[in-house]
Amino acid sequence: MIDFEHVGKRYGGRFEALANIDFHVRRGEMVFLTGHSGAGKSSLLRLIMRLERPSRGRVLVAGHDIDHLHVSQTPFYRRQIGVVFQDHQLLFDRSIFHNVALPLEIQGVEPQEAARRVRAALDKVGLLHREKALPIELSGGEQQRVGIARAVVHKPSLLLADEPTGNLDPQLSADIMGLFEDFNRIGTTVMIASHDLSLIARLRHRVLGLRDGRLVSDEEAA
Amino acid sequence: MSPDPSRHSRGARAHGSRPRSRLLSWVRHHRAMCLDSALRLVRHPVASLLTMLAIAIALVLPAALWLTLDGARLLDAELEESATLTVYLENGTSEAEAGRIEEALAAHDQVAQTRLITAAEGMAEFQQALGLSDALGRLEDNPLPASVVVRPLDPSPEAVRTLAGSLDAIAGVEEVRLDLAWIERLRYLAELGRRVTLALVVLFGLGVLLVVGNTIRLSVESRRQEIEVVTLIGATHAFVRRPFLYSGAWYGLGGGLLAWGLLTLGSGWLSAPVSALAASYGASFSLPRLGLHGSAILVGCSTLLSWLGAWIAVKRHLAEIRPR
Repeated sequence: MIDFEHVGKRYGGRFEALANIDFHVRRGEMVFLTGHSGAGKSSLLRLIMRLERPSRGRVLVAGHDIDHLHVSQTPFYRRQIGVVFQDHQLLFDRSIFHNVALPLEIQGVEPQEAARRVRAALDKVGLLHREKALPIELSGGEQQRVGIARAVVHKPSLLLADEPTGNLDPQLSADIMGLFEDFNRIGTTVMIASHDLSLIARLRHRVLGLRDGRLVSDEEAA
Repeated sequence: MSPDPSRHSRGARAHGSRPRSRLLSWVRHHRAMCLDSALRLVRHPVASLLTMLAIAIALVLPAALWLTLDGARLLDAELEESATLTVYLENGTSEAEAGRIEEALAAHDQVAQTRLITAAEGMAEFQQALGLSDALGRLEDNPLPASVVVRPLDPSPEAVRTLAGSLDAIAGVEEVRLDLAWIERLRYLAELGRRVTLALVVLFGLGVLLVVGNTIRLSVESRRQEIEVVTLIGATHAFVRRPFLYSGAWYGLGGGLLAWGLLTLGSGWLSAPVSALAASYGASFSLPRLGLHGSAILVGCSTLLSWLGAWIAVKRHLAEIRPR
């Protein structure tokens, strides 16, 4: 599903964010990406989302070198990916329902069908009863669950998450990870960047370790 | 919620692959954004109104000049009409003789029309125009010669000048007068007015672009987070641009209507003194009105110009916004 072939990324010609990254993630796999902040986790995710282009090497997603995508194709490529952010990036001027509906609106899904899928996604994250609420009325954990609902509502084949439990207490973090495992169980490829090592250790999935922009460990699920 | 592994190759475009459903969703989004951008304007009535007023003021001056120019053009047409020659007959020409000379003048192939003004008629007109009936009435002899007003076929200055020369040669003609200098001066004045108006139209049109561009720039800035998020989840540039373009068009429509209102008010306010002034010169001139056609052009141009301003602003500022 995701192939990194000797990928390097430099910013401004000097700072080397990533160097010689080489790994393969199979379709339907769930992978953690660990490392200290600044180790290159976010840069790696940004390469997959095509927010950045590699300075060296190739990034292949579903067999396609995404560097060859035309600019006009990028939006359609991104529609196959669901992204969960640490700060969840909800729009505060619209309801939970409309936040989750955003990807479907962008893809032009017919409103009735969209409503059905939004409710299914909200039900999955246990927030169906809050669909009319505004994001500000929700707790941090609930906001993150809305962010997840928005990331999966269009049924992406790849789900990326950047520190999805960064601001949550251990119990909430475990619940969120449980949700990701649920999506993975039904076939979605999941890649989560996190530095919560104790939580990751308990979950028993493949872990890619980054340090100073280099891949230093690749431990298959126990 | 089960993602089908085969989906990936087809991608999420599956929804849009049927042209009919893609068109429907496109129309739906246009309708939604048209309404949404109008609601956003209504939600900030004072700010929206100020922007529209700025557009209206920028449009009123060139539009008013354009109207005046239109009036001047009408005047110009009347001037062409009045490009007449006055042929003065020799003093003491009898009325019968004057009639014969008029026939001779009318026979000239460059003459469209003639009108004989006998000495007595000339006197009567003179008295009426000057209100000096008493003083003139005391004169024993009529000092005025008979005259023939000749309207040439070709009103161009050269043709009129040539015609004047050949009419002068006819026996019994004392003098041929023509007022070409004034007509030419007025023509130059009209041309000057035309160019000044065009320059102002261009300048103030640019002003509208800048006003709308700046407003849209601020609105793009205030919705930065939203733009970043929708770009991350796969919005096309067109999708992101759409609400801003509609905002621009709404500003233009509002500004155009306001400009129309200001022009209508202004022309109503000025029409009485203008008519009175014209009447005092014995002319009838009233301020030209916009009319249906002109109103449509004004509002249409305003909308189009503002849309263009929005387009330029969005194009420039969206390029600066890159998701973090």
